[in-house]
Amino acid sequence: MKIIKKISLLIVTLIVISPAAFAEEIFFGEAINEKVTVNISTLLANPEQYLDKEITVAGTIVGVCSRRGCWVDIASDAKFEKLRIKVRDGDMVFPIYAKGRQALATGKLTAIELSLEQTKKYKTDLAKRRGETIAPESITAPMSIYQLSPTGVKVLG
Amino acid sequence: MAKKKAINWFKLNRTLHRDIGYLCIGLTLVFAISGIALNHRGDWNPNYIVERSEKAFAESGKAPDEQLNKALLRLFPHTPPIKASYWQSVNQYKLFFDNGGAITVNFSQKSAVYEHIRERVVFKQFNTLHLNEAKKGWLVFSDIYAGLLIFLALSALFMVKGKYSAWRFKRGWLIIVGGAIPAVYIFM
Repeated sequence: MKIIKKISLLIVTLIVISPAAFAEEIFFGEAINEKVTVNISTLLANPEQYLDKEITVAGTIVGVCSRRGCWVDIASDAKFEKLRIKVRDGDMVFPIYAKGRQALATGKLTAIELSLEQTKKYKTDLAKRRGETIAPESITAPMSIYQLSPTGVKVLG
Repeated sequence: MAKKKAINWFKLNRTLHRDIGYLCIGLTLVFAISGIALNHRGDWNPNYIVERSEKAFAESGKAPDEQLNKALLRLFPHTPPIKASYWQSVNQYKLFFDNGGAITVNFSQKSAVYEHIRERVVFKQFNTLHLNEAKKGWLVFSDIYAGLLIFLALSALFMVKGKYSAWRFKRGWLIIVGGAIPAVYIFM
C-alpha cells in the first residue's frame, strides 16, 4: 500500500508542478563554469582550437528536440549561426517550452565528420540560409560539424 | 510434541500472485499507456500538443526587427509577451514568447506560422515515468516493478493444477506461442 501511495503522490506532484515549470529556472547535470565562457561565433570560427576542452556557451534557445528533448540549439551572437547541445537520450530532457529562453551550457566540443555528400548538402543549406549560392561541384573535401556534449545546462526563467 | 505445519506452497503462490497482481495494476497501466503513446511517436508528439495557425504576412524581410515584431503582434494579437527573436536565415525570422510558443516567418512564402505549445497532461507524466526522466528515485520503483513482473510471469506457471495446468498441452501451448512471437521477430 505504501508503494501505491508513493506512486500516486509522485504522479500527482508531477501533474501539479508541470505548469509551474514554464517559468522556473531549470538545471541539468553539474554546475556551470562561467570562467570558460566562449562566444559561439568565436568557437565556430576556429572549432579545432576548442576540441575536447571544457567550455561554456550562452545564448537564446532557438530549437528543442520535440520527441525526446535530447538536444537544444543555442543561437550564436552572429546572425544565422547556432550551436547544438546534444545529450544521450534521457541523460537530460530539455522541455520544448524552453524555446526563446536564455541558456548556459558547460561541456566539451565534439566533432562529427561528414561524408562528401553530407558536406555538399550541409554547405548548400548553410549558403541558402545566408542568402548566398554555392555550386555543390565546387565542394571537393568533406568537413566536420561541431556540437557541445554538456556536463551541465542552466535554462534561465 | 506439536506437529510442525507444512507450508502449502500452492496456496502461498496463488496468494502472492493475486496480491502482487493487485499492486502492479497502477504501474502496468502507466507503462502500457505510455508504451502505446511512445510506440507511435513517429505519428504524433506524445508529450506536447502543438497547435499551428498560419496567416499571410506581406512585410519585407528587410524591415527593421521592431517593425516586424509590431506587424506580427497585430497579426496574432493574443500572444503572450515576446521573449526573444532569431534570424534563422535571410528568409526565416522567429519570434519566441513567454509560454514557449513561437512565430516563424517565411519571407519567400510570405507566411507566418504561430505555434502554441501545451503539455499533454497525464501522457507527459506517464512518459516521464516510463522513460525514467524522473531519475534516481524512480529507478528503484521501476526495478522493483520489473522484479514483480518476473515473479508474476513465473508464478503463473504454478497457479492451476490439473488439465488446465501450464504444464499440460491443453493450455501450455499458449506459453509456447508467447515465447515464439518475440523469437520470430529476433531471428527473422
